[in-house]
Amino acid sequence: MSKELEELFVQQLRANQNIVHKICRLYTRDQEAHNDLFQEITIQLWKAFPQFRGDSKFSTWAYRVALNTAITLYRKSTKMATVAFEANWHLPQEDYNFEEEEQLKRLYEAFYTLSDIEKALVFLYLEDKDYAEISETLGISEVNARVRMNRIKGKLKKLINP
Amino acid sequence: MEELDKLKRDWQQRDHKFPSLTEQDLYKMLHRKSSSIVKWILIISLLEFLLLVGISSCYSFDSFKQISKHREIEAAIEIVNYLNFGVIAIFIYFFYKNYKSISTTASTKKLMSQILHTRKTVRNYVYYNLILAGLSFIFALIVALNESSEVKGLQQDLNEHVYLKVMMVVLILILFLVFLGVFWLYYKLLYGILLKRLYKNYEELKKIDQ
Repeated sequence: MSKELEELFVQQLRANQNIVHKICRLYTRDQEAHNDLFQEITIQLWKAFPQFRGDSKFSTWAYRVALNTAITLYRKSTKMATVAFEANWHLPQEDYNFEEEEQLKRLYEAFYTLSDIEKALVFLYLEDKDYAEISETLGISEVNARVRMNRIKGKLKKLINP
Repeated sequence: MEELDKLKRDWQQRDHKFPSLTEQDLYKMLHRKSSSIVKWILIISLLEFLLLVGISSCYSFDSFKQISKHREIEAAIEIVNYLNFGVIAIFIYFFYKNYKSISTTASTKKLMSQILHTRKTVRNYVYYNLILAGLSFIFALIVALNESSEVKGLQQDLNEHVYLKVMMVVLILILFLVFLGVFWLYYKLLYGILLKRLYKNYEELKKIDQ
């Protein structure tokens, strides 16, 4: 029974692993810490999996557990990045426009400097979650989630156009 | 286009390249050790409970039986001891209940408050012990002073012994304050290392909803 559950879990996780990777990249500064956090999130997901009833999608459920682990549970302190980790983000896309690329780079850097909570808020927004889901995941009201998001938008604007 | 929308467009379009883990890789991870702060909170809290229960049973049994010659006081001390065990059981029950309620599938805010609530149970138990220790100390002092003056009776003797007793009281008081200091330092460290980030994030979430 447990072997079957394990198999089912691992299948689901492998299919949805990018969600966990994105969160790890968001909350860690080097590859070692990234792998460490991925490990911890996997353990927490597995721990909570028996109670996962399947009344929501695995991915939706995984967002919550993974974010909670990264923000609240994860214990190990992140080391200083030996390599400019953020540089890995900015592979030039097609139709390379220098100014736009620079602006994007600054946006991503600004994104990185947000607080744990604000990062989670913006991350869920980028992942195309609606405010109802964002507010439910974080435990705040929908109205206030929007208010805070507007504040973040203002913050980003200032950072990009000083 | 607004900055955040630009970011979102890029985020959605971008091929977030990550090393793809196989099912074998994931299988290995399932049974490794967790480095969650909840685990640490449980271990530390259990150690605290054990230590405090151990200390309180030490001083409540031995030293007090010797203090008083009066049957009633001895009986009263016995009753307090049993009540104390009842209180310990209640604290442990609440701690267990709070610990069990910690769930990663709750909202971020709820999870944080569950963890803090669990720690609060232990903290309250520590306060309870400190208060009990303080009261017991005062009580023992009163009893000891009363009884020795009964036995001796002579004014001269009383004067001699008062000096010694005051010295003793002051010494024990200083010791008590040192203990309090150690406790305070220990808690500052504990909260500082383990829970600082949690507190900060919890405060931020509360602020959002104000």
